[in-house]
Amino acid sequence: MKESPQTRFLQSNLQASKFSAGGFLGNDQRPIDEIIADDLRQLEEIGRTVGEVVQLLKNAYEKIRSGLGNDVELSNGVTGRFYESMGRIPSPFRGDGVFEKGEAVVTDENSGDSLIITKLGIHLIEKHHFFQGVGCRYRIEPQQVFQILTK
Amino acid sequence: MIQSILIATGFITITGLTLALLLVLAERRILNYGECEISINNGEKELTVQGGATLLASLAENDIFIPSACGGRGSCAYCKLRVLAGGGVISPVEEPYLSNEERKNGVRLSCQVKVRNDLQIEIPKELFSVCRFSGIIEYKKPLTYDIIELRIRLKQPESIDFVAGQYIQLESAEYKGRESVMRAYSIASVPADNRSIDLNIRLVPDGICTTWVFEVLKEGQAVHFTGPYGEFRLSDTDAPIICIAGGSGMAPIWSIIRDMKDRKIERETTYFFGARSQADLFYLEELRQLEKVLPWFTFIPALSAEPENSDWKGERGLITDVVSRHFPDCSRHEAYLCGSPGMIDACVAVLTKAGMPEDKILYDKFT
Ligand SMILES: Cc1cc2nc3c(=O)[nH]c(=O)nc-3n(C[C@H](O)[C@H](O)[C@H](O)COP(=O)(O)OP(=O)(O)OC[C@H]3O[C@@H](n4cnc5c(N)ncnc54)[C@H](O)[C@@H]3O)c2cc1C
Ligand code: FES
Repeated sequence: MKESPQTRFLQSNLQASKFSAGGFLGNDQRPIDEIIADDLRQLEEIGRTVGEVVQLLKNAYEKIRSGLGNDVELSNGVTGRFYESMGRIPSPFRGDGVFEKGEAVVTDENSGDSLIITKLGIHLIEKHHFFQGVGCRYRIEPQQVFQILTK
Repeated sequence: MIQSILIATGFITITGLTLALLLVLAERRILNYGECEISINNGEKELTVQGGATLLASLAENDIFIPSACGGRGSCAYCKLRVLAGGGVISPVEEPYLSNEERKNGVRLSCQVKVRNDLQIEIPKELFSVCRFSGIIEYKKPLTYDIIELRIRLKQPESIDFVAGQYIQLESAEYKGRESVMRAYSIASVPADNRSIDLNIRLVPDGICTTWVFEVLKEGQAVHFTGPYGEFRLSDTDAPIICIAGGSGMAPIWSIIRDMKDRKIERETTYFFGARSQADLFYLEELRQLEKVLPWFTFIPALSAEPENSDWKGERGLITDVVSRHFPDCSRHEAYLCGSPGMIDACVAVLTKAGMPEDKILYDKFT
């Protein structure tokens, strides 16, 4: 089937571009619709919703961001640190706007797992249910959000 | 039978080709907008351009460089300006980037406005003096483990006129399959040294431009940038000053303070610089030296994660707490902030709580 101009625009923006060194798909070969559907299925299996994911990520991001680069304890063994970056990055979806750069890195000392939360990453999940492709530096594994942020 | 099919196919092909040809001719005729006039800032500058290109491109062709980070793809929103007449309707690409206030004031993304007829536009006066510069990296030296100082010696044009606090847009080259990009960096040097500019650049993990600067860019290499841009600068009041910066936010404040010295502006100034540990401090000696020679200047670095048993004798704690301790009442002061959006939000909250009116708090909106 022929791709619409919108789909072509999105597919090209999801690749490495002038805005994102690694793009949004990592080494994931699945089409974006399939990535979204698989992640939603994973959430359903654990009885959780996108709304819950977004709320947890937003709370953690704001708390870590207000630490101004210092370690912020989120719960026992789970800490976060904000890596500032001035400037803004546009969403790969046309018309979504621009988002503050900078990363809130959450580390779970017990499991060694980590999450990199960005304003754009939260928006992509909230509006498009897109957690980004496997292998992408900014992918959020739905299950991990609960494992790390509900301790 | 076959003959009828061939005749029908031939007929359809010829009709199709004729229609396509007519369309091309019509498009040429219709889309030939001819020459259009662009009147800037109420006739302060008048341009005659060939219609059909975007406003951003038409201005650039005439050496007026509007900031842009996405190369005109309608996704960075850096290229905003006011179109007072002739801009047509706001396109769906522009919609999400424009606030109601901006729409009311005719603000548009210049890369999405096509020049199809005469236009009246308004741009900050400073943009008339924006140029594209080429220069040579004179040196690249580490200031901390993740911040470097770059000195760019200007080649063409040979000098730059800027106001302390302004920024330039550096163009990275293609590397490792990554496209060339443009990113904003505040000028750290002073306007009096107009043959070169200094930048303080902080490495962003996997960042396109900063990785190029840190890993690829070499001393002696040619670079390009446009500028100067930005409204961040010293006001012409007499109010005492509080400067607050963190990380690479040092650059414009470093420029402003030394420019005050050069221009003999003697306003009481206290500069708070927030960092995690001593490893994150830079220009410390130079700032201490300035403190000695400028009676109106005080420098207060504050560390938030310095080991307790270290030899650090200065302030400790979050920069916002340190500012509050020194200035419980800021109602007479003016503030100049530079750093991450998180730091700026936190500082604005603390300063307004201490009585500083919001319009006395000046910062570049990086987001
Ligand atoms: C007016 C102004 C002045 C500035 N002055 C300075 C200065 O003096 N010194 C300085 O060091 N910087 C300064 N900056 C910041 C600078 O312009 C750059 O934004 C910064 O250096 C990062 O550029 P980069 O190309 O390395 O990173 P980029 O590649 O542009 O951005 C990397 C960031 O993009 C985001 N990102 C990328 N991919 C994804 C994804 N898939 N999902 C979610 N998020 C993603 C992340 O937040 C990541 O940290 C200034 C900015 C402005 C606007
Ligand atoms: S140049 Fe980026 S939106 Fe216009």
